[in-house]
Amino acid sequence: MDDKIKLILSSVFKISVDSISEETSMSSVKSWDSINQMKLIVALEEEFGVEFEDDQILQLSSFNAIKDIISKF
Amino acid sequence: MKYSEILKENNSLSDKLDGKQYNILVLSNIIVSQIKDVLEYYIRLEGINAFVTLGNYDNIVQDSIKIHDFDLTIVCWELSNLIDGLQYKSNLYSDGETRDLVNKVKAEIDLLFQNSKRASLLAVNKFSSLVFSYPFLDNNNFDFICDELNTYLVKRKNQNTILINIDKVIAKISIEKSIDSRFFYSSKSPYSIEFFKEYSSHIKPIILSANGAVKKALILDCDNTLWKGILGEDGIENLEYTSETPDGTVFEEIQSMVMELSKRGVIIGLCSKNNLDDVNDFFRNNKKLSLKTQNITIKKVNWKDKVSNLREIASELNIGLDSIVFLDDSDFEINLVKENIPEICCIQVPKKLYTYPSIFRNNSSCFFSLSRTEEDAKKLQMYKQQTLRHEQRIKHSSLEDYLESLTINVAFYINEIDLVPRMSQMTQKTNQFNLTTKRYTESDIETFVRDSHYITIAISVRDKYGDSGITGLSILQLDGSTATVDTFLLSCRIIGRNIEFSFFDYVVQYLAANGIETILGSYRKTPKNQQVSNFYNSLNFIEINSLEEVKKYKCSIENYHFKNLNYIGTTNG
Repeated sequence: MDDKIKLILSSVFKISVDSISEETSMSSVKSWDSINQMKLIVALEEEFGVEFEDDQILQLSSFNAIKDIISKF
Repeated sequence: MKYSEILKENNSLSDKLDGKQYNILVLSNIIVSQIKDVLEYYIRLEGINAFVTLGNYDNIVQDSIKIHDFDLTIVCWELSNLIDGLQYKSNLYSDGETRDLVNKVKAEIDLLFQNSKRASLLAVNKFSSLVFSYPFLDNNNFDFICDELNTYLVKRKNQNTILINIDKVIAKISIEKSIDSRFFYSSKSPYSIEFFKEYSSHIKPIILSANGAVKKALILDCDNTLWKGILGEDGIENLEYTSETPDGTVFEEIQSMVMELSKRGVIIGLCSKNNLDDVNDFFRNNKKLSLKTQNITIKKVNWKDKVSNLREIASELNIGLDSIVFLDDSDFEINLVKENIPEICCIQVPKKLYTYPSIFRNNSSCFFSLSRTEEDAKKLQMYKQQTLRHEQRIKHSSLEDYLESLTINVAFYINEIDLVPRMSQMTQKTNQFNLTTKRYTESDIETFVRDSHYITIAISVRDKYGDSGITGLSILQLDGSTATVDTFLLSCRIIGRNIEFSFFDYVVQYLAANGIETILGSYRKTPKNQQVSNFYNSLNFIEINSLEEVKKYKCSIENYHFKNLNYIGTTNG
């Protein structure tokens, strides 16, 4: 699951897979803005076959948070 | 394909493609940012280096000033967001409020078209009320406003504008699959990835046409492709191709669609394993056939393999193999061609005959061309004349004797505004005899014609077999006493008659008479224009400063060697 998330983060934000770590978040990635956030949500939902709740969407702002929330499904 | 995969593939394609960038600007009054990767990906798959820039949110009119920096501008004008919540508010409007809104938007439409008059190409989505339509009521005010504004778009659009019917896009995938209600309400982003994929497919032919990638010929098998049955075995009486039978109706529709393509300028040819006489007799004696023999330009009806026949067709018509679409019912033939000539687009007649017409219709988009001119209708005649010239050539011993026997005459048209559509079409379609392969829309050419720093010279060619029409173009850029050849091309119909030398002599003469002393030219290599790689060398231009893909040349007018071909006559158009 980690790898799939990393690949999606890499494709959406145009960053290398290797540069993604536990610290990767909205504040550390320049291209992580609200427009790309939408793309991220669409890509994650499609990949994992889930639909996030509204409050979950607000929390999806770091690599760790994404892992947490998806593992709850 | 998953969205994340499209994102990933698009990223890797952007590194691989090195052709000239095709710049697309997307203006909208909603969030459509997802379109960037999807559209880029779909176009890059075709080998065109598309790059999408998104305009500022809800700044359609303001951003329309930037349009000239782009090859194509797409305008996504969402009806429901003209006013926040218009889809429900409009149904409570008074007549006066409705009128005010409609007039306000009409004024904005005027500004958009005013600002974009000189743009290369504009694709404006028609307004749509479809996703908010009630399933059971008559048209409501929201629908009414939509119709009013669309009528206005049709009335006021410029020549350089194509209106896109997004209802067709939505219809293909369903209203439910087209919308993303969640992101519509939270972020003003109404459309789903599915919608953007279908939209990109839908407008792809426009972009392909602007980049010269349109299919030129449809080559068809006969038995069970144009009619039901096998001519040589079942006999003429047992073939079905009219509405007398259900299957016959299918083939009548197919033949009519082939005729329609022919009228749009697509070359129609037959490639069939039959006796030529049988097929010729059948077409000649049968009035009920919807496909008429005059519309068939080339016939390879024999017992040779179809791969060889198709190669001959490409060579005789002087078109690339990748300009051909091949239609056949046989698994064997389709696979054979696919394996041996992968550049040819193969379509197989489906086993379920009732799906044949819609498959044919859907595939016809590969023939879509932005510019349709009078030359299209005459084209068939010209290709037929070409076959006659081909037969004559074999009879003469030397090229010069043959050319002299043709009594060729070239007419020149300088800065002729009436020829703008045809000149634009030539830049988009000509791939082989094209030194710089620059693609221009009608709007671009009109700018050249009106600008005193440019000269456009078009030629038409006539010989004893007929008139080839406007078949050559040169665009020259002037700067003091220097002229640069921006474009020099000849349609494949007139290649092989040394017309290029006569044309260039005329260009040089014209430039000399207008005070030019130096001419600069360049050759940009593409997969299709190898035959002109040494054109400037043959004119005794000097090669200066060359890179791998671009060779640059220079010649002073006094050093230019006129070929003065006496067997080609010239007149002013």
